[in-house]
Amino acid sequence: MILLDRVTKTYGIKSKPAINRISLHVEPKEFVILVGTSGAGKSTLLKMLTREEKPDSGKIIVGGIDYDDLKDSQVPYLRQKLGVVFQDFKLLPRRTVFENIAFALEIVGMTNREIRSTVPKVIDLVGLKGKEKNFPDQLSGGEMQRVAIARAVARQPKILMADEPTGNLDPRHSWDIVRLLEKINSYGTTVLLTTHNVDIVNKLKRRVITMEHGKITSDQAQGWYKQ
Amino acid sequence: MNAQNTAQRRTSKTALKALNPRNHRKLLSFWRILKYGMSSFFRNAWLSLAATVIMVITLVIIAVTFVARQVMVDTVTEIKDKVDMSIYVKQDTSPKDIASIKASLLKLDSVVSVKYTTPEQFWEDIKTKYIDNADIMSAISEASEKPPIGVMNIKVKDISHIEDLTNLVNTNKLIKASMDENYPPSFSDSRRTAIDNISRTMDFVQKGGLIAGVLFIIIASLIIFNTIRMAIFNRRDEIYMMKLIGANKSFIRGPFIVEAVQYGVLAAIVTAVIITTLLVLAKSKLIEYGIAVGSTYNLLTTFWPLAVLILMFIGTTIGVVSSLLATRKYLKLN
Repeated sequence: MILLDRVTKTYGIKSKPAINRISLHVEPKEFVILVGTSGAGKSTLLKMLTREEKPDSGKIIVGGIDYDDLKDSQVPYLRQKLGVVFQDFKLLPRRTVFENIAFALEIVGMTNREIRSTVPKVIDLVGLKGKEKNFPDQLSGGEMQRVAIARAVARQPKILMADEPTGNLDPRHSWDIVRLLEKINSYGTTVLLTTHNVDIVNKLKRRVITMEHGKITSDQAQGWYKQ
Repeated sequence: MNAQNTAQRRTSKTALKALNPRNHRKLLSFWRILKYGMSSFFRNAWLSLAATVIMVITLVIIAVTFVARQVMVDTVTEIKDKVDMSIYVKQDTSPKDIASIKASLLKLDSVVSVKYTTPEQFWEDIKTKYIDNADIMSAISEASEKPPIGVMNIKVKDISHIEDLTNLVNTNKLIKASMDENYPPSFSDSRRTAIDNISRTMDFVQKGGLIAGVLFIIIASLIIFNTIRMAIFNRRDEIYMMKLIGANKSFIRGPFIVEAVQYGVLAAIVTAVIITTLLVLAKSKLIEYGIAVGSTYNLLTTFWPLAVLILMFIGTTIGVVSSLLATRKYLKLN
């Protein structure tokens, strides 16, 4: 599903590599947690998977697509196949919950009928029934993250990448989000989660990849993490 | 290893081909872009209002510049037309010679038409012209005899360019012989200097007006460009987010362009109302001051739908170009 082969990325000429010859293989339907301190390279790694950044060297293959073959004009279509969730939610502020989710479907050319049938289902999935007409500033942090997840999974992507999705949430809401990600994973979506949260990592008992200074220092099948 | 690479390459190409199966729904996307552009216009009401107001100011500057220039050109033309361009021929000049002089004058590039007035008619014209002026009428009645001259009134294309006319009058034997030495041509000597001065001043006013107009339009366009740029800058996170979830450039840019079109259309209507009101209110006062506002007023009131369309075209063009330039920066990165 995701394959990285000796991938290196450096920002600026004299700086140390943000990602240093990383090789990684993630199988379909896996739930992988990427841990590490700030600056370890987790976000850069996700940015390369969404093609926000290009590697200096190495190969990236996601869902069978070799990024070396990808033209810039095809990048939007690649992203339409991926689900992405961010720490700061990145919702459209002047659009309702329904419209935020619908937007992700409209850009892939779904008809209005398909949208009217899909959006309520994902809203139900993330537990936001009754909030369809609310604007983001009328929601709590946990609810906003649920909308972001709903938007990410509405197109039924094979891969869902969540970059510190619990970073701005209290423990209770953090666990709600993690349980939701597990539920989505149980439907067959590969989940790649980056987090700092030791409690979540250690209780989930999932594959844990630890990064330090741009390198993978450990890769455990049912791992744990100690800061 | 090679076989594995070839297989992977084939898989990658197949996956790339399958990336955008619904791209053909262009009409649906277009409709959605329109919908988003229109809803953004109302949901960002304050920003839309600010941009529209700035656009109105821009269009008013452009429209006033245009109207002012047109009025100025008309006024200058009127003043130039009023400058007397005549030669005076002796009373006893034969009709044959008068016809010959007329023909010579009409051959000149600078001359549009020539009208001959007999001494009797000339005298009557003066009396009619100054009938309300008691001083002149008294002088006329005291005059022992009417001037023994006929008037050859010459209409020229441009009073600034009458060199060929001056040459002809100075060199043509028949004209020289027919002219009364007590009545030199109206465009000779000191009068010629006065005509040149009027001409130079009018040219300066016209050119200065054009330069000022172009400057105003550039400044106004920069103001609206910066306003739209700031409006888009405020929403750069939105653009970034749209990119990350896979919206293509036209889907991101489209609503901003639709918004800019709305600024342009709305501002054009408001501007048309402002300019028409100003012109109606100021018309009589301007005419009192001898400013030739009549033809511009008639032009605008007759062809007002066209004027509104032109304003809409200018407004939307400036708005759309500004939006395209302002969004380009945020759409550059993957």
